[in-house]
Amino acid sequence: MAAASKFVSEWWLQRISAVLVTAYVFLVLGLLLVNGTPNAMQWQALFANTGFKLATLLAILATAYHGLVGAMHVWPDYVKNRAVLAVLNAYTWLASAAVALWSVYILFGMK
Amino acid sequence: MSENISAPLAKTRARPVFRNIGFAELANYRLPIPGVASIVHRITGIALFVCLLFLLAMLQMSLKSEAGFEAFRNIVWANPFAKIVLIGLLFAITYHMIAGLRHMVQDTNAWLDLPTARATAFAVFALSLLVTALIVWRLW
Repeated sequence: MAAASKFVSEWWLQRISAVLVTAYVFLVLGLLLVNGTPNAMQWQALFANTGFKLATLLAILATAYHGLVGAMHVWPDYVKNRAVLAVLNAYTWLASAAVALWSVYILFGMK
Repeated sequence: MSENISAPLAKTRARPVFRNIGFAELANYRLPIPGVASIVHRITGIALFVCLLFLLAMLQMSLKSEAGFEAFRNIVWANPFAKIVLIGLLFAITYHMIAGLRHMVQDTNAWLDLPTARATAFAVFALSLLVTALIVWRLW
């Protein structure tokens, strides 16, 4: 029961995070398509905007979660060796956590 | 004499085995296009996940300072090989997104009949290649 409900909430969060990332990608690609290739000033001005920073942070955190759930489901379909699987799972957790923490540093802690 | 007795037994033991696919057929087997769409969705997903840390490194470089942005342009953007990898990743995100939207429609039990599944799988490839080409053309 507990395992089943965990799976259902994971299923929903996987899709909600996908929609969040999609909205953000539409936003960024739309900006790039309209304005063309940015120069350093334009690019850094965009990322100095607090609203855009928060949207970026939300999108990266959603990506990290989405990737975590996705990769954890994909590995065992192809990797049957338990030791190799454990290494891949550990890598997946570490990489997701690193992405989440690093994105906070890049957007709010740098300089 | 003993052969006569064991023969029917052996025959019942050697029942035909129906595999989904035999090794000999593997070379000639063509995965149906909805199957290709599904496996490419997985491959692009894993590729994006693995490259995420490199993408963050590039984002940090481009935001660090004006010199960092120029360094990104010189090291990454001016390098044809790196550019091809980045275009590959652009295709991966575009494809993964559009194929993901198709999968979410299929979550509602729509688009599951074979002609529609084939047509939408084909459309996902066509659309994501088109969008990738459009962005590359605009930002090259």
